[in-house]
Amino acid sequence: MTDVSEEILLTGGRLLSARLSAGFRRTRTRRSLIDGLASRFVVAGGLLIIASILAILIVITAQVAPLFRPPTARPVAAVDLPLPSSPLAVGVDEHRQIVYLVVESAVRFASLADGRTVGEVRPDGLGDARIISVSTLGRGQFGLGLSDGRVIPVEVTFDVQFREGTRTVEPELSVQAALDVAEGEPVRHLAYTATSRGSLLAAVTGARDLTIVGIRETQALVGPSTRDIVRTRLSLPIPSEITQIVMDSRGDHAYVGWADGRVTSVDLGDPSTPKVEGSLAVTSRPEAGVSALSLLIGDRTLLVGDQEGGVTSWLILPGAPPAGLMKAHDFEGHRHRVAAVVPSRRDKGFLSLDAGGAVHVHYATTGRTLLMVSGRGDVARSISFAPKADGFVVTGPDGRLSHWALDNPHPQITLRSLFGRVLYEGYSEPTYVWQSTGATDDYEEKFSLVPLIYGTLKGTFYAMLIAVPLALMSALYTSQFMHPALKGIVKPVVEIMAALPSVILGFLAGLWLAPMIEKVVVGVFLIPLVVPLGVIPVLLLWQRLRGGGRTLRPGTEVAVLIPAVVVCVWAALRLGGAVEAGLLGGDFRTWLHQVFGVTYDQRNSLVVGIAMGFAIIPIIFTIAEDALSNVPPYLAAGSLALGATRWQTAARVVLPTASPGIFSAVMIGFGRAVGETMIVLMATGNTPVMDWSIFNGFRALSANIAVELPEAPQGGSLYRVLFLTALLLFILTFLINTAAETVRLRLRRRYQAMI
Amino acid sequence: MKAFWRTGDPMVWLTGAALALALALVGGLVLLVAANGLGFFWPRAIARIALADGTVVIGEIVQREPIPQAEGDPAGRSPHRIKVKQGNRDLFGADFRWIDEADITHVAYPPNLIVVERREWGNLYGVITEVRHGGQVVVQGEDAAWDALLGRLPDAVAIHERIRWIERNDIGEINLRQERIRLALRRHGLRGSPDGPEVARLRSDQARWQQRYDERIAEVERLRVQQTATALFVVADGQEKEIPLTQIVHVLRPNSMDVVSKVSTYAVRVWGFVSGDPREANTEGGVFPAIFGTVLMVFIMSIIVAPFGVLAAIYLREYARQGPLVSAVRIAVNNLAGVPSIVFGVFGLGFFVYGVGGSIDRLFFPEALPTPTFGTGGILWASLTMALLTVPVVIVATEEGLAAIPRSLREGSLALGATKLETTVRVVLPSVLPSILTGIILAMARAAGEVAPLMITGVVKLAPALPIDRFAPFVHLERKFMHLGFHIYDVGFQSPNVDAARPAVFATTLLLLAIVVAMNLLAIGLRNRLRRRYATAAV
Repeated sequence: MTDVSEEILLTGGRLLSARLSAGFRRTRTRRSLIDGLASRFVVAGGLLIIASILAILIVITAQVAPLFRPPTARPVAAVDLPLPSSPLAVGVDEHRQIVYLVVESAVRFASLADGRTVGEVRPDGLGDARIISVSTLGRGQFGLGLSDGRVIPVEVTFDVQFREGTRTVEPELSVQAALDVAEGEPVRHLAYTATSRGSLLAAVTGARDLTIVGIRETQALVGPSTRDIVRTRLSLPIPSEITQIVMDSRGDHAYVGWADGRVTSVDLGDPSTPKVEGSLAVTSRPEAGVSALSLLIGDRTLLVGDQEGGVTSWLILPGAPPAGLMKAHDFEGHRHRVAAVVPSRRDKGFLSLDAGGAVHVHYATTGRTLLMVSGRGDVARSISFAPKADGFVVTGPDGRLSHWALDNPHPQITLRSLFGRVLYEGYSEPTYVWQSTGATDDYEEKFSLVPLIYGTLKGTFYAMLIAVPLALMSALYTSQFMHPALKGIVKPVVEIMAALPSVILGFLAGLWLAPMIEKVVVGVFLIPLVVPLGVIPVLLLWQRLRGGGRTLRPGTEVAVLIPAVVVCVWAALRLGGAVEAGLLGGDFRTWLHQVFGVTYDQRNSLVVGIAMGFAIIPIIFTIAEDALSNVPPYLAAGSLALGATRWQTAARVVLPTASPGIFSAVMIGFGRAVGETMIVLMATGNTPVMDWSIFNGFRALSANIAVELPEAPQGGSLYRVLFLTALLLFILTFLINTAAETVRLRLRRRYQAMI
Repeated sequence: MKAFWRTGDPMVWLTGAALALALALVGGLVLLVAANGLGFFWPRAIARIALADGTVVIGEIVQREPIPQAEGDPAGRSPHRIKVKQGNRDLFGADFRWIDEADITHVAYPPNLIVVERREWGNLYGVITEVRHGGQVVVQGEDAAWDALLGRLPDAVAIHERIRWIERNDIGEINLRQERIRLALRRHGLRGSPDGPEVARLRSDQARWQQRYDERIAEVERLRVQQTATALFVVADGQEKEIPLTQIVHVLRPNSMDVVSKVSTYAVRVWGFVSGDPREANTEGGVFPAIFGTVLMVFIMSIIVAPFGVLAAIYLREYARQGPLVSAVRIAVNNLAGVPSIVFGVFGLGFFVYGVGGSIDRLFFPEALPTPTFGTGGILWASLTMALLTVPVVIVATEEGLAAIPRSLREGSLALGATKLETTVRVVLPSVLPSILTGIILAMARAAGEVAPLMITGVVKLAPALPIDRFAPFVHLERKFMHLGFHIYDVGFQSPNVDAARPAVFATTLLLLAIVVAMNLLAIGLRNRLRRRYATAAV
């Protein structure tokens, strides 16, 4: 602009000036346009940043939300199959395309989409007999019990092929030779299991009679395989009638249900001498007969449905009297007799079907009934839970098939299972356990966040125990007593301390400090005693030096103190060695175990406390020092003028005035320790135990995320639970920091008001 | 004495002691890391330790400590033991061995002991006896063999380098091209045009690359056959070990080296460490890919964080109407700095990796699915996550700078007719530049040291390729990368042989510490200069 205005001045012509001012206006419009655009751009950019902060909360919450979405069931189709007799059992393939039904004379396959029959197999050797009982369908290997006392083992397999984007499922039924089990008596109920060594079946052949047949196949290295068949008949001493029987997949135990509501456990470890382990009333009301029995995947929970519509689950605890069963949960009951109980093949969920066709979806771990689907009111016969637990098929007596899709991705997650005690399989009482993965498929996921929260608080507690006194005392000294010239050195050092990557602290804590502390642990506990005691002689010495005419400037004590403290720490460690040798019998860890029964982990809370304390000292220090330094100087000056010593002034005038700031410093330090990841990851054993001992490790929420999230499949329960823990950390730290920040701002205003 | 307590001086001293302890901890930590990290490269003397039972141990004495829970001798001296790095992992099973000093009869440092740094199985300690070529003994006798080994080694190393070059670059390129052709063919298949001239061209390309691949493999084979020289060593227990020269990184006779050659070896080793590739599950060799990954990640992060952070700060300080909303936002930004870094990692995984990355894959890389391209952790997502993590640092630093600028400066500019934008860009920003720089440097230091969020957004223990190479599009932001901090965690805690890896981890730690501390010192220095300038400006 300058040259233009100069030109105006120089020429002074009105015309030119007018033209220029027009140009000037034009540029001005352009400039203000640009300015307006830029304003909007800056505002948009600023808002974007703020939005992204909100986005963190929203994205994480969105990932967590499905955990708590209630499950839904949707009817897919209902088809009528022309059946010669009412179906005894129904099964479905993994993709829910083909169902198979066991009827009196055959196994029939039908398409689930349109009810078209795609095949029917009449087992060889059926002869004139009828199929009257079927064992649990399980993974497709089951037995057919015949009216003439024979049993035919069969297996259903599905051949799935993908061709040009479409999937075809071909069912196949392989039939083995019939076994004569009951010599002409009809097989009323049947339990069958096939293992790698052979197979085992238990047939109910009379009101109280069991026939157990064990078939062991041994494959010799040369020559034909041999087949040993053991057949035992067992009469149970219960004055009632058997209504159900199930067997576990290893063939170790059979459970027999009675019309009087009892279950008898039979040990089949040796099929030639089955042992009755005991009986127990299991139904919801006495005298209500057992109408459905089933074992959950993993065979550690027995499910019982009864005549009155009750559904209960029982933990199988070997050795627990009586019958090795312990009541776990009562589920939402039915209004009619329970016709069937079927477990899921991938988790601890199961379905119960009543005679009226109503289906309830339960989850055994949590004891919750997730969903209730009412039936048509007519007599329902059997139900099949899809292998992927994403649907089920119910059959009526007339061959009417109802196909439902089930959306139930996170059945094991409830607020209670996350935060409360849960009775898990294999445990005799409800506990808090975090164990997200197991070695086998039938593993029960244990998602209790309590041990993790406990671990986080434990680590934070020990870190604060070390950091708070050190940081606050350091801040008090730096702000009140230290020579300003030294402040210029100390504050950058503390800033560097704050900037040290936590992975370095974690590495040193885990690989250097932990083994070292293991050797000198007693000495470490002596440091807080020895250092203050050691400082007094140094002070006396210093005062004598000063009295002798050599003055050190006040506020430079720390220069003397650093070597003194180093010597004191060394002395404490030596003293600890002497104490260990003299008083504790030479080895602290043995002594600890003998006297307190506490074990010593090398990577323990003490190590974490020191390392994490180191990490949060600078944070607490900086904020506390800031608060203390900003106390209006006339307060301290007044106190000193009235004759108070510098310590009295600091402790009774400055400290109380700055206390909100110190509170805020401690809060922010707390927030930092809660979220610290690498140090707790590297310096503890990461075992999710609940134990306050300083000599044991723990697993913190943050470290848990770092350990498990890389392995968690996207969208799975573990993935979402880990997001939930991140959300917890986010909310917790955000609340703590906001509170601290608010306190700090209020304090600052108070200081301003004082001046 | 009572008067002494009433002065309050003991309490003052006690608080001073707390500060002294904290400072001593920082100093001790830096010294510890420096001593261990720097000592790692020094060629140590090799001891020949004769034991009472007649056996001999050869190796570096690395540690000496009192034997725990052992009775002292009558004079009150407790017995000690030493830790010897005996190497020869393939022969002895373990790198380290503890020896009670009571069992030692003689310790000597004969000048002919050799340490051989090998590409596999760690160091070998022993003496050389022969050099062979193609199975024939060429040179015999200790000194002659040593000279021959030194003479032949550069050649062997060169051939090894050449083979690696071919494997990495030529074969790497061929693999890349073939993979691209495979994906292009699949894309045609997905679009429903499984044949046509384009497809035919791709297929002929594929055949051509396959041919080139075979040629390269043949060349590697030729090179391998060329180099059949081996050296025969005798180790502590008299066993003989024949090592191909291509397996040797370098050899030393540290006991006969003077200080000058030790210093030059030191320099060579330091250079090898920062420029070399890792070997043996990262426990040996260099950390170049980790340095590269760290630097690139920090660089990408700064490109993202600088404009956004500055923009947000300018908005908050210059454009937004000051009120409860803005101060709430300011508190939120401050608090964002206090949110645990792992939470940012979780967000990065949920939003960037699976959300944005998954969408990119479905839109642009359907032919590669179900193998994810962007829908898995990578350097871009890690950098974005880090940018979000560090943006509060830049905002706070910039805001602080903006607040320090006297109002009169802005008013002067506005009074002269400048618009708000012109004032901001030409007057405010230049004076606040050092603050911005401080913020960015602090953000970079923070990003260089953070590990937890990276663990779930794309860092790996061993990346097959660097994120930048000579194949189009040169910068591969979807690739996974290595990081110094994660390297420390991984080698220190996940490697099978932590004892042997520890010195190397200390060296890595020192490197990371040096980077972070240097950046912070730079930022502190910059800020102090700035404060002085404003202090004088205010007067």
